[in-house]
Amino acid sequence: MYALTEEGKKYLKGLPEIKLVEILKRENEIKKLKNIVENFNIALMWAKKNGWIKVEKSKVTLSKKPSKYELYDALLMVSNGKKPKKEYVDILIKRGLIKEVREDIEKEAKKFVGKEITNLHPSLIKTGLWRKVKFKKYNVEIPGKPVHPGKIQPYQKFILQVRRKLIELGFREMNGPTIETEFWNFDALFQPQNHPARDWTDTYSLKNPKFGDLPDKKIVEAVKKSHEISWKYEWDEEKAKKLMPRAHDTAISPRYLAQGVEIPGKYFSLVRCYRPDVMDDSHLIEFNQLGGFVIGKEMNLRNLLGLLKMFAEEFGEAKEIRFFPDYYPFTEPSVQLSIKHKKLGWIELAGAGIFRRELTEPLGIKVPVIAWGIGIDRLAMFALNIKDIRKLFSQDLEWLRKFKVL
Amino acid sequence: MMPTIEFSLKDLEKLLGRKVDIEQLKNEGILFVKGEIESEENGALKVDIKDTNRPDLWSVEGIARELKGHYGIEEGLPIFDVKKSGLIVIVDKKVESVRPKTVCAVVKNLKFDDETIKQMIQLQEKVCQTFGRNRDLAAIGVYDYDKIRGPIRYTTFKPRELKFIPLGFDKEMYLDEILNEHPKGQEYGYLLKGKREYPIFIDKEGNVLSMPPIINSNYTGKVDENTKNVFIEVSGHDITHISVALNVIVTALKERGGEIYSVEVVYGKEKIITPDLSPKKTEMGVENCRKILGIDVSGEEMVKLLKKSRFDAKLNRNKIEVYYPSYRNDIMDERDIIEEVAISFGYNDIEPEEPKFYTTGNEREIEKFSNKIREICIGLGIQEVLNFTLTSKEDLINAGNKVKFVEIENPVSSNWCVFRNSLIPGCLRFLSNNKHVEYPQKIFEIGDVLKIDEKRETKTKDERKLSILLTDRVIGYENISSILDSLMRNLGIGYRLKKRNGSERFIEGRCASIIVNEKTVGEIGEIYPEVLEKFELEMPVVALELDLEKLSH
Repeated sequence: MYALTEEGKKYLKGLPEIKLVEILKRENEIKKLKNIVENFNIALMWAKKNGWIKVEKSKVTLSKKPSKYELYDALLMVSNGKKPKKEYVDILIKRGLIKEVREDIEKEAKKFVGKEITNLHPSLIKTGLWRKVKFKKYNVEIPGKPVHPGKIQPYQKFILQVRRKLIELGFREMNGPTIETEFWNFDALFQPQNHPARDWTDTYSLKNPKFGDLPDKKIVEAVKKSHEISWKYEWDEEKAKKLMPRAHDTAISPRYLAQGVEIPGKYFSLVRCYRPDVMDDSHLIEFNQLGGFVIGKEMNLRNLLGLLKMFAEEFGEAKEIRFFPDYYPFTEPSVQLSIKHKKLGWIELAGAGIFRRELTEPLGIKVPVIAWGIGIDRLAMFALNIKDIRKLFSQDLEWLRKFKVL
Repeated sequence: MMPTIEFSLKDLEKLLGRKVDIEQLKNEGILFVKGEIESEENGALKVDIKDTNRPDLWSVEGIARELKGHYGIEEGLPIFDVKKSGLIVIVDKKVESVRPKTVCAVVKNLKFDDETIKQMIQLQEKVCQTFGRNRDLAAIGVYDYDKIRGPIRYTTFKPRELKFIPLGFDKEMYLDEILNEHPKGQEYGYLLKGKREYPIFIDKEGNVLSMPPIINSNYTGKVDENTKNVFIEVSGHDITHISVALNVIVTALKERGGEIYSVEVVYGKEKIITPDLSPKKTEMGVENCRKILGIDVSGEEMVKLLKKSRFDAKLNRNKIEVYYPSYRNDIMDERDIIEEVAISFGYNDIEPEEPKFYTTGNEREIEKFSNKIREICIGLGIQEVLNFTLTSKEDLINAGNKVKFVEIENPVSSNWCVFRNSLIPGCLRFLSNNKHVEYPQKIFEIGDVLKIDEKRETKTKDERKLSILLTDRVIGYENISSILDSLMRNLGIGYRLKKRNGSERFIEGRCASIIVNEKTVGEIGEIYPEVLEKFELEMPVVALELDLEKLSH
């Protein structure tokens, strides 16, 4: 069994030698014919072979007008699934216009001939026999069966977007250990050791391992002095060694300040933090915090407000903003940023301030550091349009599969 | 933490002596006291005061005093007259090992009504709670002065040595009975735990005033609308600290028209006169203030702004001498005064200006690498999940873990008491939560796990991991090994698999170590059926876990 090749299909309307013969009625200059006749060389060769033409110098002349061209008929037969005489088959194969099709494929395809089919079997395409079948009409208006693509977890996607944005804004990412000493989490941030935020009900502590190491003696001594002068109590080194899961992202900043940062410079961290809350629809025991600082000789409150305004526009899409005086043990002045959200009205977006000198000077920093933190989990809830904060770490595969890509 | 104060707009107006526009108060006025109006209903206000170091602002009286400055009613340092009451409080040496310090005062000619009593109790509670660290560092007692005969003794008694009727009760009780049976005894009794004797204020005629920091007596310690004159004591451990609490209370009562009288507190040979309401002094550099705030304000203007915030201030060349009231304990540095200037100026009147210098951002390598992995996993049709890093011991042990975990000392629940040291247990738990969901299920997680590492400063180490889990009715090792192969090819990392033992997590003979550059970077295999049982899983699961830090090097 045979089937047309791509070239063979092209010539179903007529072989090139026939076209040449027809054109010879009005034109016989080889130069011009070359431009008019497609595949001129092939046409010339076969027309000559068939004894239809003569070639004289630069001209072609018709010697015998063909009445019937059996090679062409053979091509048509193949296209109709019939088998022509062997001599023509050989020529057509040689000319690359047809190809042999394996018997089993043909046999397979023939089973479908004259029937109404559902699947378009490859044998039908290869043999061309698809022309002899009917296609069953489907109900095409039924929606497809769902399939599940792999997707980035929605909250993770949001975090990645926030990270990208900060990097675009020129911030360098900082990172610190999940388990911190109280020294870096509290003491280096000028939070007194009897501060209520350091109670066991407000922060986790570790059972195993229990104590970590303190940094360079010079820094420890400077921090101790700063606490004792300003807060007027006896600073306890052992308490500072206690290990705890990081309670806020700000724990990372003093580490970077102590080890040396680029001045001027912009830094951020986006990390998981831990607090002993009872989990419900608005509280998690572990959550992400976004924060950082901008350090520079000229940095001031006005710059801090400018930075916050920019965050309000970038992250909260806010047109209206308000600043509230605020309080943190480690910043002075301190400020809270509230924004008017499109859907939710006024919400708190960020807390910020200029690090106190009692904090920066023991770490060897002599220039102002404006520090900021953004409640990223709340923003994520708005972005994901969820009411229950636990959904950020959804345990529901079906929900994740259905969630539309952010 | 942050005190929320409730009061009526009418009461505030009465104290200010003028009408208050609620919108102005909400948007501007309340900011001067670091407050934010939480709610307002029919003139009843709830206000969050953000400064946990400013107990003087935790009452409507204190708020009114501060606002008077900004509303132009009364500026500069508030002046408090203190007369002598003649009352003596003798502090017995015995209290030293129990609750060593007290400072006292008398306030006369009060006209209490329902509202003012409510306000006084609220202030007392907020100060004890936040500033007094739940009565530990400061506990306040207020008594009907007219029922007391001086001198008062601050001493101790053995639990069965003394009986009195505690506030709100109608029978005499021994001290230990009060601790066990009175609601306040049950609430605050731990502050006296282990003491052989309990602190007592008692007057000349043997009438008990109170057992601090627990409860007043029902006779002297009851203050109502008929009370004209009060005796106030604050007890604690540090004179400076408790003096602030006392000053806050007496100056608040002064705003209600009370007259302050001093008391002589006798510590052995030493006598102190309390309350001490004399102002304190500090300094601020004009140029430093301008530099930190970034606004163009002259020294003279700074003086005006500070006076509005109830300071006295004098410009002395390029410095400002600042006098601040005795109820303030929050001023440690020039910065604290600079903030006062900013608040008085109005944060919202400062034109914001972004920092102008240019920097290039920088992403951590491990985050870049994690994102590559994420892209490949997504391409392989695997859904990303996000689990908590805290988990239960049970889940870690059930997933075939034998090492020591990083463990929380004060967990809220045993479900969240240890840090994961592998992502696989959390992912198994995830699959267990989704047994009813259409199969096949393919999930991955990228996240940090914690290992104990004694060599490090924090004795722990964070490791970034990837885990992939597949589950279906029919699934096997070849399904997960082909995922691994794809992943490694697309990362361009050569690897080999090395036979290993199942070690309780995987089926023996169906698991391997993943080796890159002759180092083990992960594990792969079919989860052991006993593990599946423990996680109540009913379909086979195959899994791999890779250490991304090792892999990215």
